[in-house]
Amino acid sequence: MSEILPMSLLPSLLAAYDRERENLIPLLQKMQESFHCLSPETVKAVADHLHLSENDVYGVATFYSQIRFIPPGRHHIRVCDGTACHVRGSDRILEAVEKSTGVQPGQTSEDGSFSVERVACFGSCALAPVMVVDDKVFGRMTGTATRKLIEGKE
Amino acid sequence: MSTIKLSIDGQEVEVEQGATVFQAAREAGISIPTICDHKDLSPYGACRMCVVEIEGVRGFPTSCTTPATQGMQVSTRTKRLTDLRNCTLELLFSGHPNSCFACPHREPCETHRPQATKAGRSTRCGFCANREECDLREMVLTSERQELKLPVMYSAYKLERDDPFMDRDYNLCVLCGRCWRICEKIHGEPAISIINRGKWSKISTAFDKSHLESGCNFCGACIDICPTGTLMDRYARWQGKPEHESVSACILCPNGCSVKAENKGGKLLAYTMPGFEAEDRLCALGRFGAAQIVNSTKRLTRPLVREDGDQIPMSWDDALQSVGKGLIARRGTVVVVISATTTREERFIYDRLATALQGHLIVLPFEADCETPKIKELSDSVQQGKVQALITNGPLVSPQILKNVEFSLVIDCLESMASQLATIVLPSAILSEVDGTFKTSSGKIRTLSKSSILPGGARPEWMIICLIAKVLGLNGFDFDRAETITSLIQDDPAPEKFEREPRNNCRDIPIRFRGHLVADFVPGLKAFELPTTLVDEAEDEICNGFALLEKKEIAPNMHLLIIEAPQVARFALPGQFVILMAKETSERSPFTLADWDANAGTISLIIEEVGRSSRELTSLTAGDQLAHVSGPLGLPLSIQEKGTIFLGGGCYGIGAIFPLARILHEAGNRVICMIEAASSHLLYWQQELAEVCDELLIATKDGSGGMHGGIQEGVSSVTEKEHINQCIIIGCTFMMQQVSDLTKTFDIPTLVALNPIMVDGTGMCGACRVSIANQTQFACVDGPFFDGHKVDWEELTLRRNAYAPQEIQALPQGIHLTSCLPTSTLKMGD
Ligand code: SF4
Ligand code: SF4
Ligand code: SF4
Ligand code: FES
Repeated sequence: MSEILPMSLLPSLLAAYDRERENLIPLLQKMQESFHCLSPETVKAVADHLHLSENDVYGVATFYSQIRFIPPGRHHIRVCDGTACHVRGSDRILEAVEKSTGVQPGQTSEDGSFSVERVACFGSCALAPVMVVDDKVFGRMTGTATRKLIEGKE
Repeated sequence: MSTIKLSIDGQEVEVEQGATVFQAAREAGISIPTICDHKDLSPYGACRMCVVEIEGVRGFPTSCTTPATQGMQVSTRTKRLTDLRNCTLELLFSGHPNSCFACPHREPCETHRPQATKAGRSTRCGFCANREECDLREMVLTSERQELKLPVMYSAYKLERDDPFMDRDYNLCVLCGRCWRICEKIHGEPAISIINRGKWSKISTAFDKSHLESGCNFCGACIDICPTGTLMDRYARWQGKPEHESVSACILCPNGCSVKAENKGGKLLAYTMPGFEAEDRLCALGRFGAAQIVNSTKRLTRPLVREDGDQIPMSWDDALQSVGKGLIARRGTVVVVISATTTREERFIYDRLATALQGHLIVLPFEADCETPKIKELSDSVQQGKVQALITNGPLVSPQILKNVEFSLVIDCLESMASQLATIVLPSAILSEVDGTFKTSSGKIRTLSKSSILPGGARPEWMIICLIAKVLGLNGFDFDRAETITSLIQDDPAPEKFEREPRNNCRDIPIRFRGHLVADFVPGLKAFELPTTLVDEAEDEICNGFALLEKKEIAPNMHLLIIEAPQVARFALPGQFVILMAKETSERSPFTLADWDANAGTISLIIEEVGRSSRELTSLTAGDQLAHVSGPLGLPLSIQEKGTIFLGGGCYGIGAIFPLARILHEAGNRVICMIEAASSHLLYWQQELAEVCDELLIATKDGSGGMHGGIQEGVSSVTEKEHINQCIIIGCTFMMQQVSDLTKTFDIPTLVALNPIMVDGTGMCGACRVSIANQTQFACVDGPFFDGHKVDWEELTLRRNAYAPQEIQALPQGIHLTSCLPTSTLKMGD
C-alpha cells in the first residue's frame, strides 16, 4: 500500500476532477488511495467540490464495502454476514474474531495489528460461513478455526 | 402534447405521452398498491408493490417506472400479482413490527385502547402514533392475507430524539425513500440519505450526526410524506389523526406563508405545508412552533382588571366598562402600538379607534424590541405627559412606559411583562383562531381562516375593538365579521421585508412574535440558540436522593433499574410496590417491586416507557440519582399453600410476577408461570423465571415464540390438563380484565394487581379509588391485589384514562430527555 499523503494535498487532489456528480466514485476512490480511508473532513471536501450534500456523499460511500472509514490494520479481517453466511452461523465467527482480536466490527485495534469489518456477501456462498483475511478467502469456518487462524497472524 | 391509448384491466385509458403505467392507472381511477410512490415525487421503484402484467412483456414490471406505450395491454389484478404482492408485503414486514396483524385479540384491544399507547419505541401498531393513518397497515388489513409468516427482525436502532421537534424510530422504516427524495426536491442538498447497504441500509445523516448538524432546516416535509410511524412530529405525535384541514396563512413573520392548518377537536395540531413543492416549504417556527404557541399554557384566557394594585379576573362586560372609563377620560392622549404581524382588518380597526380617540397608531416592524426609535420617542411623550393612555397588542413597549402611563390596555394572547404591568388585559385570538387577511412583505394578500376553538374567554382583536368602541359610543364600528372590514381597506402598506430567510436556514428564524420571545413558548427553539426570558429549572437540578446503580433496556421499552434503597429492601415483601420520582418536580408514579436484596440494600424494578414519568425514569443512567423512592407500599400477597398456582404476567408484569413465583414455589405450591408479549423479541427474564417455578409457559401475539395468543389461551390450555387452584395476573388493564372474565367461567379464584393512577400512596388522596363488588377501595392501601371477578373494569379504565390529554401535553418537547441507547443493549429478533 502506498504511503499516506498529507492532508494539505487535499485541494490539489480535488482540483484534478471536474465538478460533476459522475466524478463522485472516482473521487472517493482517490481519497481512499491517498489517505487510506475516508474521514469527515474528506467527505465534506468532496461534497463541497461536487456541490453535493455531505449526507449524499456519505450515503454513496457507505454503499461500497471497499470504501473504509477506519485506517486498516496490518491484517484486515472481513467477516461475511450475508444471508447464506448468517444462516450458517456467521455470528459465531464474528464473536470468535472479536474475542481473539479484541476488535469490534468497524474498528482497528489500538496497536494497529488488526481491523475487522462485517460485510454483506463475497459471492462465495457455497463456502459459507466465509471470512477474508488480507484478501485471502477462508471458507466453511468454525469458531475454533477462526481463533487458530488469527493466532497464527499475531 | 400528444396522447397515447392503452388498456388497463380491459378499460381503455388515454394519457399524455411520457406518463407511466402507474400514472395512467391513477388517472383512470384504477388503484395499484404502492408504498414508495407519491404523486409529488419522481418514480423510484423501490417497494415493488406496484407490479403489473403487460402483454408481451416478460416478468412483472413495476408500473411506477414503466412508461405507458400505445396499445399496451396491462393487467393489475391477476391472481399471480396478488400472490406476488402478498409476498412482497410479507418481506417488507419482516423488518417491521407486525404482531398486531396476527394477534387474536386485536379487535377488543383496539376497542379498549382507541388511541395508541404513547410508548418510547413503537414495537407494534398499538404502540404506534401512526396507527390511525398508516398506509402500510391499511395495505395489510385490506390484503387477503393478514397472517405474516416471516418472523420480525427487530433492528434495535436507537431512538433519535436528540434534536428539536422530531422523534425518529428507524425500526419502523421500510426504506421507501420518500423522505430523502422530498428533502432533496425541496432543499436541493438533502439533509438525510440512505446509508450502508443490504440489511444495514438505513436512512441517516453523514457520520450519524444529529439533524442539527446535518443541514436539516426542520421543514417537516419528510415527516408529512413518510408512510410509516418512523418520522414523527414530537408535539403532534400522540394527539391522533387530524379531523379538519384548511388552508390558511402563518403570520409569525412577514413572509406570511400559506399553510395547511390541521386541527382535531378544534385544537391546532400543526401547520403543515400546503403542498410538496419547494415554494410550499415552511420554516421550523411555522411548521412546529405555531401549534405550541396556540396551545401554550401561557395563553391569556380571562379579562383582568387592576383594582387596588392587583389584577382581578372579571367578566367581559365589567372589563369593557372599565376600559371605557379609562379611555374616555384620556381622549386626545391615547397611543395605540401594534406589531406589523397583525391582520389587515385588525390594523384597520386599531387605526380607526386611534383616530376616533384623537390619538395615533404606531405600527412596529415585526421583530422590533423596545429599543426602536419610535418607542424611544413614545417614552419621551409619556414623560412629558403628552401620552396618558396606551393600547398595545403585545409586549411592544418598555416596562418603563407601561409604568409611567396612567392607563394601559394590553390586548394579547400570551402572558408577558406587558400583561403583568397593564391596567387592563383583554385575551385575544391568534394564528389559527383568526379570520382575516394578511399582506406579506412581497405584497401578496393571503387569507387566514379560523379553524381552532378559542381558549376560555379569548376573542378576536377586531371584535374586542368593536366592543370597546360600543362602550365609548363611537360610530363606524358595527362589524360582525372580519370579512365585512376587508373591503374598506385601501392602500395598506406591506410590512417591511424580513432580512433573513428562515426557510433556508433554521438558525434564521424570527426571535420575536409581537414582542414575545418565541423560544419562551416553543422550548425546542433553544437548540438554535434563540434567546428566552425563562430559566429552565429542570436542567440544572441536581438530585440528591437514591442512587441508580444499574439501568438497562432489557427488551424494547422495558428497562431494568436497580436502585439503592436499603430501607425499602429491608422491609419489602412479595407483591408490594414503591412510588418513584425521578426529579423533585416529577409526578409520583407507582412501580411493583420485581426483586430486592436486603443485604445489598437494593431494589430492582422493571419500568416500561409509556409516558412522561416513565420516560424521565428510563432516561436516567447508572450513577444518576432519583429524587424519591417511597415504600414498600401496599398489602403484600398472602402466601399460603394452595396447590397449583397459575401466575400470568405481561409487559412490566413479567418482572412483577418473579418474586411471587419464587416465594409461592418455596411455600410448596406447584407454580406455573406464563408470560406474554406481542412478539418473542419483546420477552425477557425467561431464564430467571424458569428457575423459580415448576413450569414456564410462553405466549406471543404473533406466534413467534411459544403459544399463539396471550395469557387467556394459556389458562384455557392448562385447565384442559390440570386443575388450577389460584390465578394471579399482572399486566395491562386490558389483559387482566380479559383473563378475569375467562377464569370466572372456569370458576378459578383470580387475583389481579391493579394499577390505577396514584398520588400519595398512603390512602389519603383517593386518586387510586377502585370499585370492588361495588365497594370503594384504595388500591394503594387495600391493594394492589383484588379479586379479578369483582373489579369494576369499566370504571378503572375510565379513571386511568381521565388525564389522557394532559398526559400527552406533558410529554417533553425539549431535547434534554434523550434515550440514545447503544444498540448492543437490546437483543435482535431472530
Ligand atoms: S407504521 Fe405503525 S401503524 Fe403502521 S404498520 Fe407499522 S407499527 Fe403499524
Ligand atoms: S423514514 Fe419513512 S419515508 Fe423515509 S424511507 Fe423510512 S419509511 Fe420511507
Ligand atoms: S425536516 Fe425538511 S430539511 Fe429536515 S430532513 Fe426533513 S425534509 Fe429535510
Ligand atoms: S410504487 Fe412502484 S416500486 Fe414502489
